[in-house]
Amino acid sequence: MNSIIITRAGTHSTIQDFGRFQYQHLGVSPSGAMDQRIITELQKIIPNHQNQFLEFAYVGPSIKVKEGSVKICVGGNCNMSIQKNNNSQLECQPYKSINLFEGDELIIHNTIDSVYGYIAFEHGLGLEPCLNSYSTDTKAGIGSINRPLNDEDIFYISKDVSSWDLISIPKPDLEKITNFKVYPGPQLQYFSDNTLQSFISGVFTITNQSDRMGIRLKGESLISSKSHDILSEGILPGSIQIPSDGQPIVLMRDIPCTGGYPKIAILNEIDISRISQLPPETKITFDLQTIY
Amino acid sequence: MYFKGINSYGDRGLVLDFGNETSKSISQEVNETFLNISNLNLQSLNIIPSFNKIVVIFENSKIRDQNKDKISMKMKDTNSQTNKKVTKTWEIPACYNEDFALDIKIIQKLHQITKEEVINLHSSVRYYTYYIGFMPGFPYLGDVPSQLITPRLATPRVKIPARSIGIAKTNTCIYPKVSPGGWNIIGQIPFDIFDLQSSYPSLFLPGDEVKFYSVSLSEFEKIRKYNFSLNELIKEYSS
Repeated sequence: MNSIIITRAGTHSTIQDFGRFQYQHLGVSPSGAMDQRIITELQKIIPNHQNQFLEFAYVGPSIKVKEGSVKICVGGNCNMSIQKNNNSQLECQPYKSINLFEGDELIIHNTIDSVYGYIAFEHGLGLEPCLNSYSTDTKAGIGSINRPLNDEDIFYISKDVSSWDLISIPKPDLEKITNFKVYPGPQLQYFSDNTLQSFISGVFTITNQSDRMGIRLKGESLISSKSHDILSEGILPGSIQIPSDGQPIVLMRDIPCTGGYPKIAILNEIDISRISQLPPETKITFDLQTIY
Repeated sequence: MYFKGINSYGDRGLVLDFGNETSKSISQEVNETFLNISNLNLQSLNIIPSFNKIVVIFENSKIRDQNKDKISMKMKDTNSQTNKKVTKTWEIPACYNEDFALDIKIIQKLHQITKEEVINLHSSVRYYTYYIGFMPGFPYLGDVPSQLITPRLATPRVKIPARSIGIAKTNTCIYPKVSPGGWNIIGQIPFDIFDLQSSYPSLFLPGDEVKFYSVSLSEFEKIRKYNFSLNELIKEYSS
């Protein structure tokens, strides 16, 4: 048996995969990794990840091997190091597999100029799926582990590492953009041409009131010419909704399943991953695609 | 037929539009269509019915465009619209004891009726399940009798007890678990309605009919102790 213990949980660490689908009509959010580009890349290094990825934000976790050994890989842009069992320190890099032995501790200090990072574990973390997914929705209390990770959480990985060969891939080019092409939202017609002009030409700042549910923006108020209260309807991640204060909210992975605010526009799937990595105070703009 | 057409929702979603009004008959068409679309076994990630829309979500635009035609054809095929009844009719025990009826006085005062009248009115109607939303397993039921229509609380409660029955505007609901919320709380039911251990975790489904009947506190406690599973609840309280 191999086991690891969380020696420091970090700011907000959760278990995620590519999302929980087919349950949104029962009020269950899709959730899943905020930046799905990274776990897609990590699959190349740890193919047998069992869809049990650890997602961290800002300050990452520290993980110590309690028994046996594990093979892992970190993805994202972050500072990290390994405290070996003989007290020596080892440098390590994202997108290169890491072999950890009893007593070794991986310390992820923080993400750099980004928000989220991920750890893939060979053979997963010994978890059972919840509604066909390992993703965590902390607000609804749904997941293999239905809360953020805590200090002292222990994971048991029964299978041994298959090969100690070091595998790495070139650091993926996770293009950082701040100008987002968006498609018209279902309630685009709730906004006058002038307001739409403000949306397209305005600069919006990402605020620190942003989390896995949504990214709150600050900028020129976008007031609807009709109403900010619509009859609730199904929503999908990437939708940009405008509540009555006129400040846009980009809905992210832990969306409420239905929403009652008009949606002016929607991001495409890959841009949800891109925007999730922009820290507070980043300034962004939108470019409305008229043909769709 | 309330169905108006199919619109795009970004690069990977579709919205089936049933107009801007809300009524039980619109909802019935929405929920029948929801079942028809679900039975098509589309390559969709989620199909979400609400009062007058169905949102269908796909992985990408290519899959969306391939599946759009199948939905259009189904919507034109009016013969198949007569769906056999697969929804359930529920008789749900409700305890309106003052320990649970946190806001019943607000409704009494607004409509100048007694507590017994609120209870009798609330348990007199067979409600329709418009859809499930807000939180896992939360049913939007309606419509309540006109003497019970009450706006949301001016200040939402931070912690509504699990299994509470609420009223807001023309709807009534059950909170599956502890939650913040603004509905007027008038009672509680003695069992959980959302169970993650079940492969189909929500007791109620869109289109189900739900009637409450009043039980005493001792009867409530008795049912509570049984700790029914979802399957047992279906056998015991639905037809």
